[in-house]
Amino acid sequence: MDKKLKETILNPILKGNPITVLVLGICSALAVTVQLKGAVVMALSVIAVTGLSSLVCSLLRNTIPNRVRIIVQLVVVAMMVILVDQILKAGEGTYAIDKQLSVYIGLIITNCIVMGRIEAFALGNKPIPSLLDGIANGLGYGLILVIVAFFRELLGSGTLFGFQVLPSGYIPNNLVILPPFALILLGCIIWVHRAFDKDLQEK
Amino acid sequence: MNKIFEKGGKLYWLHSSVDAFETFLHVPGTVTLKGSHVRDAIDLKRLLILVVFAAAPAALFGMWNVGYQHGLAMGQSGVHILEYFWFGFLRVLPLYLVSYIVGLGIEFASSQIRGEEVSEGYLVSGFFIPLIVPVDIPLWMLAVAVAFAVIFGKEVFGGTGMNIWNPALLTRAFLFFSYPNYMSGSECWIAFKKGEVAAADAFTGATPLALDGATAQYGTGFWDLFIGTVPGSVGETSVIAILLGAILLLWTGIASWKIMCGSVLGALFVGWLGNISGVTDIPFYMQLLYGGFAFGTVFMATDPVTSCQTECGKWIYGILIGMLCVVVRLFNPGYAEGMMLAILLLNTFAPLIDHCVTSVHVSRRLKKLNAA
Amino acid sequence: MNTNSNVYTVIYTALIVVVVAALLAFVAAKLGPAQDANAKAETLRQMMSAAGVKPTEELYASKNAEILDLYADNIQEAYTIGLDGRKNGELSVSKDKIELVSKLKPQHKAILAEGDVTLPVYIFKSGISVIPIYGAGLWGPVWGYVAFQPDCHTIAGAFFDHESETPGLGAKIKDEPWFREKFIGKTVEWGDVPAFRLEKNAEAAGATNAVDAITGATMTSKGLNEALNIWFGAYEKHFGAGAFFNMLEEHAIDTTTNAEEE
Repeated sequence: MDKKLKETILNPILKGNPITVLVLGICSALAVTVQLKGAVVMALSVIAVTGLSSLVCSLLRNTIPNRVRIIVQLVVVAMMVILVDQILKAGEGTYAIDKQLSVYIGLIITNCIVMGRIEAFALGNKPIPSLLDGIANGLGYGLILVIVAFFRELLGSGTLFGFQVLPSGYIPNNLVILPPFALILLGCIIWVHRAFDKDLQEK
Repeated sequence: MNKIFEKGGKLYWLHSSVDAFETFLHVPGTVTLKGSHVRDAIDLKRLLILVVFAAAPAALFGMWNVGYQHGLAMGQSGVHILEYFWFGFLRVLPLYLVSYIVGLGIEFASSQIRGEEVSEGYLVSGFFIPLIVPVDIPLWMLAVAVAFAVIFGKEVFGGTGMNIWNPALLTRAFLFFSYPNYMSGSECWIAFKKGEVAAADAFTGATPLALDGATAQYGTGFWDLFIGTVPGSVGETSVIAILLGAILLLWTGIASWKIMCGSVLGALFVGWLGNISGVTDIPFYMQLLYGGFAFGTVFMATDPVTSCQTECGKWIYGILIGMLCVVVRLFNPGYAEGMMLAILLLNTFAPLIDHCVTSVHVSRRLKKLNAA
Repeated sequence: MNTNSNVYTVIYTALIVVVVAALLAFVAAKLGPAQDANAKAETLRQMMSAAGVKPTEELYASKNAEILDLYADNIQEAYTIGLDGRKNGELSVSKDKIELVSKLKPQHKAILAEGDVTLPVYIFKSGISVIPIYGAGLWGPVWGYVAFQPDCHTIAGAFFDHESETPGLGAKIKDEPWFREKFIGKTVEWGDVPAFRLEKNAEAAGATNAVDAITGATMTSKGLNEALNIWFGAYEKHFGAGAFFNMLEEHAIDTTTNAEEE
């Protein structure tokens, strides 16, 4: 059991990473990774949504009528997303970041990872493993987000978390800030990931 | 090749680099032992050298023009033609060094990793790159752009012959989007020494396309543009020098005349539409002289690797490039020049065009077969 | 229990929806005031940044309560005007009950339709008056606040914001201090068409009512230019020509009393 639990947590972060292996949730990964701060908040929001949605759906798993399964999941996920958005808007410190992330917090609902984990895991497992699975998948997503945002903010603005890191003579690269470069970076991460993990390479 | 580098030898892992240098300097004696290969003096290297010859007039003129524009901006006069050339040569030489050192370095390294022979493809790309960037571009920027273009535009797709986009244009595109302040505006097209400031009134400093119809006033009339005594990227200004190259390319059959003609026709057509609909005052034939159109049509669009392969596809590809280039010029207020974007976009679609042309062909023949 | 029967399904779905709706309504009601306070403080920050009450970074580092205090301490009066340039309402500036016209979109629509508008004018104790602007950028709305010197002609400062412009390109209107600083000292030529120009190479022409557009952000610049001119047009009768002298008289008194106090 312990080993299985460990697998539940580690797999989504490494071998079954939702972004680099399953290639899910790309849209927001391109959109919110211009600055680290936004990426971190986005990652935390997704972790909260995936974790809590999986937990709630797992609690309800024996009562949900099969025919309206997807709709019920959707209602739960939508509720979580709205809650996260409302809370971010209400916090004095998070208001500015919520504004910066604009529609992308609301769009977490369209993130395939959330529904995917509920369908694939939470409906067939007990609440605690489901919660962990959701959180781990959110972490796997967040990890990639933060890596991409790190490079984009560093090269595109010369800053990290808004603080000047590179010497002021550094000329920011505008291409890095445009969404296509996030895709190139993502490609590089997948490249490195596959180079290290031979199982992921296609024959 | 020395035995030590051959398969099983101690230094076999270095064989691709050694092989590259050896075949670069002389033709190796190794020939195919069996099979019916056509023996001909022309090989990839010979072909590419011809392209470099074709671009040489534009390059030489460009070097002189760099000096000439600098002289104009500083208000000099009566300077000897060779002095202008020497000034330009010294400014362009570092661009060449960076282009070749970085590009070939990556090319060698990746061939080494793949264990393949180093191919000569980069010789041409490296020759073009300094010709399509502003002469004042900081060298480190050029180095970064070349590295990006060679790695992400070429090596990840499998090296020479496998690339989707023209590596030289990709270098320019990277610079264009990464450092827009260095790639457009009033001063980037003219070489200044450190600390130099343009003499007042001697320097108008804008690309002809940014001048918005006021070309005659700035001395960039038809003949200036045709001969090439205007500011611009190093090799793109002189239409006459580029035409010399075009003649060589067409005479040797390296470049496709269909692509060139298509591109010219497409540009003329949209330019003419712009004229009759009142979008622009620029006469339609002037579209062929401005900016990078001539250089792009002759040297970039006709790149055999990234253009269409089918004969009908070449027409479509060429016409679309010409049309798109002028569409960007006329309708996108953000970009003064559209040639680079047009070629890169059509590079992307070239395989699709080929596919469509072939399948139309196949279905037409099938119909004939069924009818018979 | 048969979870697949029709009755069960209908009741279950209804129940879930009711529970979720109730929960969300409860949360929205609970968090609403805090969210409104955030939005109000944000608007005040932007206005005071334009008016130069404090440097922008300091304003953004301050807590909401401090922002309200700062505004109450610095504001002289606030009122709304119609398209005819006449006052048609007062806005409270007392600390506990600060009133703002923060919904700019309906006003923007009313201006375009030439309908009834309540356009806010905020006059600070320094004599600087602040007005909002609003329009469409490339991806979503752009808006901002422009502050005028007591002569109602020279721009004292500006602050621009946007909902979803491209980071690094259009977003520069907010992110790059040099962009808003360019507006300082420029003038708005009331009555001219256009009253202000935000265009490519506009500065080179030497006009005082012009600022260069942002390279690479053509559509955002264009949208902002339009927003500025539409809103300047709406305020023209208030700040321009005839009304201008009345304003000057009123404020001549205000500023002198102020100077004496200091």
